[in-house]
Amino acid sequence: MHPIFASIAIAGPETILTLGSLAALMLGTFTPKHRALVVTSLFAVAILGVAGFSLTDAPAGRSIAFDGLYVADDFSAYLKVIIMAAAAASVLLALPWLQERGAGRFEYPVLMLLAALGMAMMVSANDLLTLYVGLELAALPSYVLAAFSRADDRSAEAGLKYFVLGALASGMLLYGVTLVYGFAGSTQLDVIAQLVSAQAERSIGMLFGIVFILAGLAFKVSAVPFHMWTPDVYEGAPTPVAAFFSAAPKAAALGLMARVLVVAFPGKVAADWQQIIMFIAIASMVLGAVAAVAQTNVKRLLAYSSIANIGFALVGLSPGSPAGISALLFYVTVYVAMTLGSFLVVLQLRRPDGGTVETMADLAGLSKTQPKLALALAIFMFSLAGIPPLLGFWPKFAVFQAAIASGLLGLAIIGFIASVVAAFYYLRLIKIMYFDEPAVALASEGSPVNGALIAACALFCSPLGMLAMSPLAVATARAAAALFPA
Amino acid sequence: MSAIASEYLPVLLFFAVGIAFALIFVSAPIAVSALTGTAKPEAVKLSEYESGFPAFSDARAKFDVQFYLVAILFIVFDLEAAFLFPWAVSLHWGGESAWWAMMEFLGELAIGLVYAWKVGALEWE
Repeated sequence: MHPIFASIAIAGPETILTLGSLAALMLGTFTPKHRALVVTSLFAVAILGVAGFSLTDAPAGRSIAFDGLYVADDFSAYLKVIIMAAAAASVLLALPWLQERGAGRFEYPVLMLLAALGMAMMVSANDLLTLYVGLELAALPSYVLAAFSRADDRSAEAGLKYFVLGALASGMLLYGVTLVYGFAGSTQLDVIAQLVSAQAERSIGMLFGIVFILAGLAFKVSAVPFHMWTPDVYEGAPTPVAAFFSAAPKAAALGLMARVLVVAFPGKVAADWQQIIMFIAIASMVLGAVAAVAQTNVKRLLAYSSIANIGFALVGLSPGSPAGISALLFYVTVYVAMTLGSFLVVLQLRRPDGGTVETMADLAGLSKTQPKLALALAIFMFSLAGIPPLLGFWPKFAVFQAAIASGLLGLAIIGFIASVVAAFYYLRLIKIMYFDEPAVALASEGSPVNGALIAACALFCSPLGMLAMSPLAVATARAAAALFPA
Repeated sequence: MSAIASEYLPVLLFFAVGIAFALIFVSAPIAVSALTGTAKPEAVKLSEYESGFPAFSDARAKFDVQFYLVAILFIVFDLEAAFLFPWAVSLHWGGESAWWAMMEFLGELAIGLVYAWKVGALEWE
């Protein structure tokens, strides 16, 4: 057998997604128009399921494919499961919204499959160039998705803004890659690590390379100071697309960041990037907490909440230790459920005129008009705020514990303070829902699939989710260990 | 460079890059709109240069979006040709991997063409 076929077998999930996305495109093209969207969406969910399931069949340990460009290990497998699940949920949750706007737009699930393929490639990248290709493959469908409601000016604006700023960030990332290649002599992560540890003193050129790579990646995870696109894009993009943006791409980009920093820049250089990550983490936590206080739009609020949460997740990356990476993965897992749940509730609610909920004032008295959805949203808000019995408390606890164990007490204290400030706006939303008089009678859009997704996310974030904690702890510890060669 | 400055160099560099790009993100759109916007129109400014002739019609005429579609499709197949030429002359060194990589690319392109054809991107009306 030719070696390329062995590589294709190792990259099984990506192969399935590639062929599946092409098949989905043809399926949508040749299915009668009134059924195309539903058929393609269900097919896409099935493909994501098969790709996720194929991970259980992968050989244990670390497999390298495509001459060292691609790596499949426990770390990539763990993140891919999250990415596939989040992408499948994003396809399903968009279905009622898309059907309201005409049944023919079957491109949506196809774009979602392509974005999932790019994200799977990102977390399996063992080379700076694979990283870049994966990142672009995930980003290009995202730009199209942001502008998916073509007739809506705000959606078009969100798409254009995302595209222009995303292209600039990709340029910065590539510039960093060229500098690292120039000063280290390789683009392969483990080879860079060897070459860097062999260097006697710190090279300024290499440092610039790391700074630019981090700036590009910070843009992708929407971390301060490269967060400015996030509220505008979330507000302008269609709500199901904003839900997608806040979940899977964040998990993929955080995983990518962790792999590049931990694998390629260990030892002496680690102290350099740790400062930067700590700065990004503190800035994101504080800005996400403070700026969200003044928001009245629900989607902008969730955008700032996602910025703050990225900051908390990066606290787990700051120590660069196995415990920290494990906490980061745990944080990402719970965050994806919390944010998807919150967006699902927003998506499920309809104003009497048929429009979607935009401002927080719309949610007033939700506990009286829609008690079940209000309860679910309250669970997500309490969980995002990190109130103890809910699951959202534990990942925050884990990242701070990992930071303190590595002596980063100051970082943890700033994190505590930011999370108290952030609790204000989460609790204010709950107060609006439970203690204010209803302003408009909101209807539930009533899709049973979305209702089931909300219930699943709410159960996971509720205290019952703690049952999942010990298997998650085992899985995240194994995944994190894959980044640290024994 | 003093020891303490050297110790915090990475984060200082990050500050500098962050501030520079934040300024670009914020100021570039303002600058572009200030430069491209018609701030103070007046007859002389708006007239053609001395040896020109008066415009027949407004330059911002609407034209069919189909032209863009054709242009995009042209670029796709133009780039394909641009890939194929270096691939063809270096296939000798690339071997079987290169052969299958290009076949995969051509297959994907063909599926893209089928999609564009079927949704009617190639029809003028």
